[in-house]
Amino acid sequence: MKRVVPLEKACETELYGSKAVGLGQAIRDGLPVPPGVALSGSIVEAVAAGEESAIKQVVKWVTPLGGPLAVRSSAVDEDGAAASFAGQHLTLLNVPSAEHLSSALSDIWWSANSDSAITYRQRVGLFTRPSVGVVVQTLLNPDAAGVMFTKNPVTGDDERVIEASWGLGEAVVAGIVIPDHYRVDRSGGVLERTPGLKRVAVRGVAGGGTVEEKVPAELVERLCLDDSRLGELHRLATRCEEVYGPARDIEWALAGGKVYLLQCRAITQAGR
Amino acid sequence: MEVLQRVPLFADLSEREVRQIARLFKARRFAKDETVVKEGSGGAAFFVIESGEAAVFIGGKKISTLKPGDYFGEIALLDEGARMATITAASDLLCYGLTYWDFRPLVEANGSIGWKLLQGMSKMLRAAREG
Repeated sequence: MKRVVPLEKACETELYGSKAVGLGQAIRDGLPVPPGVALSGSIVEAVAAGEESAIKQVVKWVTPLGGPLAVRSSAVDEDGAAASFAGQHLTLLNVPSAEHLSSALSDIWWSANSDSAITYRQRVGLFTRPSVGVVVQTLLNPDAAGVMFTKNPVTGDDERVIEASWGLGEAVVAGIVIPDHYRVDRSGGVLERTPGLKRVAVRGVAGGGTVEEKVPAELVERLCLDDSRLGELHRLATRCEEVYGPARDIEWALAGGKVYLLQCRAITQAGR
Repeated sequence: MEVLQRVPLFADLSEREVRQIARLFKARRFAKDETVVKEGSGGAAFFVIESGEAAVFIGGKKISTLKPGDYFGEIALLDEGARMATITAASDLLCYGLTYWDFRPLVEANGSIGWKLLQGMSKMLRAAREG
């Protein structure tokens, strides 16, 4: 079905994919998620095929979000129990506005239908027609961002593990910095603060896309998060576990003095 | 639609049939020097070139150049095997692509397309034997 719904109304995984439905659930449970919409796999395919009516429908829904936009794939079987498509399907940050969305959606659709994605599918025994939903959200301009495990993914200890860097969280996810490393116990007490080596920050640029920006020397080894922010992240972890269950892998961002949840999924066996 | 009508593979189809299959194709742009398909990788789609040129390499050696109207990528879709060549965009390239899931039913339903694919592969086989 060719559908676009506000993120908080995305309930059907088979239409919108697990990422969209997970974020929808987060909003319904009062978690701080940036505003956005969910696009079904069928409407993404229709836009990739150049269907005018589908393009108009998407632009109508996305225009109120303003810009710039974060456009993330939400494959129907993405991050499922059998296989993770992380790294196969595209995420496009800093798409300037709704008018630029068609080519972004086409790129995402093709990323799910690329040779490498198909090779991966064959390898994991999922040689089936891919369906890729999409989440479109207002792109934050974070001061800092990163990942958080609600349980230590390496030792299994019952503590929060937080990694943080300046700017967009892609610097941490893509491994282009050594992030700050923090551990926080179940009562919110800080167990460890180890500054990283954050020579670059990923930031949006005017006109679209992102750039790796040089970090001022005095910030390279300065901690991104103080104890008050760590406390907020600890509370976010607690809420995520209440909503989704234990052992969560969270992507977060700190923008305008507020902590946002960008993604929450189960910790995989091997951690990230 | 106009692009597909110019492609020899679809030359025997009626206008209505071309219109039907045109709905299945999706535009895909590649920047100059971008790898379009890679030898040894699994195959996801079949492409026809609308504009630009692409270079074909096998084992690192350049074999040929593809131009508007040419098609590629069908072999890995037919046998569900690995790509037999690496193809890179020799200029900015606009292709129309058809994924495996649409390509197979299209060929199964259109004998003339299947016949032309066989003719194309026969030519390739003969050229390979003749060295």
